[in-house]
Amino acid sequence: MTAEQYLLEIKNLSITYHAVHPPVKAVDGVSLQLRKGESLGIIGESGCGKSTLALGIMGLLKQVGVEGEIIYRGQNLVGLPEKRLRNYRWKDMAMVFQNSLEVLNPVLSIGEQIGEPLRAHYNLSPLEIDQKVVKLLEMAGLEPEWRHCYPHQLSGGMRQRVLLAMALSCDPELLIVDEPTTSLDPASKNEVLQLLQKLQKKSGFAMILISHDLGAVKKLTSRVMTLYCGRVVELGITSEVLKNPLHCYTRGLLNSSPNFFRYKDLWGIGGEPPPGGSIEGCAFYPRCCQGEESCRQARPPLRYVALERMVACHKGGIETFLRAEGIRKKYILKEREIEAVKGVSLEIKSGEVVALVGESGSGKSTLAHILAGVLPADAGQVFFKNKKVEGRWATKMVGGMQIIFQDPFSATSHRLKVLEVVREPLDIIKWGKRDEREEEAMKALQKVQLPVSPEFLNRYCYALSGGQRQRLAIARALVTKPKLLIADEVTSMLDPSTQANLLRELKALQNRHGFAMLYITHDLHLARKIADKVYVMYRGEIVETGVSFEIFENPEHVYTKRLLREAFRDLV
Amino acid sequence: MEYLFTIWVLVTLNFFLPRAMPGDPFLYLSADEGQEVARFSEEQRQYYLEYYGLDRPVAGQYLSYLADLLRGDLGYSLYYNEPVSAIILRRLPWTTFLVMAAVLLSTVSGTILGSLSAWYREKLLDKLLFFHLILLSEVPAFLLGLVLLFTFAAGLGLFPLSGAITHFASYSSWWEKLLDILHHAFLPVMALTIARLGGMYLLSRNSMTTVLEKDYLRTAWAKGLPQKRIIFRHALRNALLPIVTRVFLSLGSLVGGAILVENVFAYPGLGHLMREAVMVHDYPLVQGIFLVVTICVLLANFLADLVYRKLDPRIGDYSGIRGG
Ligand SMILES: Nc1ncnc2c1ncn2[C@@H]1O[C@H](COP(=O)(O)OP(=O)(O)O)[C@@H](O)[C@H]1O
Ligand code: SF4
Ligand SMILES: [Mg+2]
Repeated sequence: MTAEQYLLEIKNLSITYHAVHPPVKAVDGVSLQLRKGESLGIIGESGCGKSTLALGIMGLLKQVGVEGEIIYRGQNLVGLPEKRLRNYRWKDMAMVFQNSLEVLNPVLSIGEQIGEPLRAHYNLSPLEIDQKVVKLLEMAGLEPEWRHCYPHQLSGGMRQRVLLAMALSCDPELLIVDEPTTSLDPASKNEVLQLLQKLQKKSGFAMILISHDLGAVKKLTSRVMTLYCGRVVELGITSEVLKNPLHCYTRGLLNSSPNFFRYKDLWGIGGEPPPGGSIEGCAFYPRCCQGEESCRQARPPLRYVALERMVACHKGGIETFLRAEGIRKKYILKEREIEAVKGVSLEIKSGEVVALVGESGSGKSTLAHILAGVLPADAGQVFFKNKKVEGRWATKMVGGMQIIFQDPFSATSHRLKVLEVVREPLDIIKWGKRDEREEEAMKALQKVQLPVSPEFLNRYCYALSGGQRQRLAIARALVTKPKLLIADEVTSMLDPSTQANLLRELKALQNRHGFAMLYITHDLHLARKIADKVYVMYRGEIVETGVSFEIFENPEHVYTKRLLREAFRDLV
Repeated sequence: MEYLFTIWVLVTLNFFLPRAMPGDPFLYLSADEGQEVARFSEEQRQYYLEYYGLDRPVAGQYLSYLADLLRGDLGYSLYYNEPVSAIILRRLPWTTFLVMAAVLLSTVSGTILGSLSAWYREKLLDKLLFFHLILLSEVPAFLLGLVLLFTFAAGLGLFPLSGAITHFASYSSWWEKLLDILHHAFLPVMALTIARLGGMYLLSRNSMTTVLEKDYLRTAWAKGLPQKRIIFRHALRNALLPIVTRVFLSLGSLVGGAILVENVFAYPGLGHLMREAVMVHDYPLVQGIFLVVTICVLLANFLADLVYRKLDPRIGDYSGIRGG
């Protein structure tokens, strides 16, 4: 592919604001390519450098240091004098600015502001310009009479349309659209998006759409780029990225986007992005759920991890923690055999909440026990972090896997004291000294909001309430700081209010510590609240699997439909 | 409406204030050069008091004062023996000329310098301008006038020492006369202009700097407009708004400055006249001057409103086309 085939090619662009102390590197080594008529979405939290990148492409930033190349139709725009740049502006690349009251000149009429680029770039008579302005306004869905009005007389939605009409006045080849829907109400939001879609189809301009509204990006772009701290962390085909993000940050964005999760509680990404340019290694490290010390050392390069998908991560993106292939298990009873699990495969990635749903008796718990290595499988293999699970090694380590059983305490542990129960997993693997273990145990108890008074620590387990016992089980599992938690119907024996509280806490812990979780339940209400992905199990088989919002929105398998119908019957 | 009320308040104040001043007009009226010997007999004095209505009750005086005003009659000057309106009309053009010239010059040059400073902000030019103009703005107008008078008129003899026009001169053409007038006005106008320049400069520098950082200016750059259009149509147009307000609002203080400067240069305007009138306790004249000056300033404010409305579409727009 030669450079000429790209309309816009950005090579290793960095933009630093020098006017502030310390200087902020708002865009940090960004590269991208855009073909004619193509549309690219840029997503990221506010402050990640989206607007800076857009303004940088247009050459509109003052008091900044710009490194790298911005090649438009083979011409590098970086360092070009203002006079030469002027020829590209509006005629070749135009911009719909982030909407604000001051983005239009308050003392000039709408018509003048839409028409003046025409006057500057073409030889048109005032009458011709006026006619064109009328056409542009109509195209943007506004009545031509508005051209005699002033910006303060327009509503936010109308101003957005004016900005759009203005941007298209000189028929640009490239349109940069910065946050077209923020600050709009849902109705005007939809209208503006539809308008953009229609106009792009009609005029065929290439588009860079900047937005943290993932719905807009999904609707309008074919490729999407995730920006974090001014760096590209993921790049791919929009539908693919949004369905299956491969960088932890993209997934975090998705998880905090209300567009995609109508029912799920929103969980933002913990922590704040560091100021641009202040970090040596991976900028996401402080907030990453799978980061390791080594991530801090060097900056991860943007690499292909799949076809048309690039990710900047030392671990190649979100890690797969658990992989099970073709698991089978038969119980042999006196008179008959029961095939509890019939060739199940599944995957759990780091930081992901996977719900395994199905009615009781469908084989969920058997599968859970096999995954944890507690129960041997008849056939099939389980891998934890790419290492085969044989025996219990994966549960007998710090940072491994932990399972919380449906019926948390066997008869033996009933006779143990609270502290002993929580400490036990560490005792078994002989981790640290005794008082260190006790300290960790207390921390784990605090995490699940249980008291750490000596009286409580010395209580026997049989003297605890159901809710306390369930929390205790969670604390016991968390004491080894697991990367994967398998929770088998952990809340099913509790009353609804305790259930809800515990679930929220569990999810909060998951969000904060970033462990992955396989949440096994027959309760779809609960699954829908917290799950990223769902596996539906029916008579020992996985009958449907997918991203939770898709499964819950349009289930395909009859069984899933039935489950959903029954679960939500009382709600509809 | 507001303006009418303000004018009434002024008129009323104008009536009572001089009466509250100490001093007896007859003392001056009757005094021959240097000596304060009563030239009027008691009868004559009584006659004048009656004639001017000074013996009537204050309420009555007030009413007839208002009635006269409506007819454009500002009374009769005891000292000049002439209708007040005639004296004022003769002097008014000179002051108006001074003030207008100073406003025009200081505003235009202040705006240009301020805009330049804003455009080259933090560069050498900006720093130089800022330093010097701030210094200048601290000097009061009459002091500047004195300095100018001593150096350029008395010292170098480049300009006349006093007056607005050469007395008893005959001109061969109208422009020769104009030149003479400008020659006389130059120093007073300069004093006023320079005294105001610092303020105008600072204001327009601030205003322009603010405007240059606005989003809509970035929009204008993005559209690839010619630099001239960006500066004048987009930036200056907005930056002028506060400047225009200031120009009109500061007219009052400018007239104050003019009064002092006129006295320094013995320039025959209202300021000079006012001093004389105050010295001789010529109530009607003082009142008349006050009134004319304040009404002029009010008129200017009224004009400012109109101009501002034209410049800024956001003002007074209640037409209700918002929304939709
Ligand atoms: N004019 C400026 N001067 C200094 N820093 C800036 C300026 N504009 C933006 N920044 C900084 O650059 C970073 C990126 O900002 P921006 O491009 O506006 O992000 P976004 O559009 O994604 O919200 C932020 O850290 C912001 O604080
Ligand atoms: S795993 Fe490491 S490199 Fe990858 S995103 Fe997390 S911190 Fe960055
Ligand atoms: Mg932005």
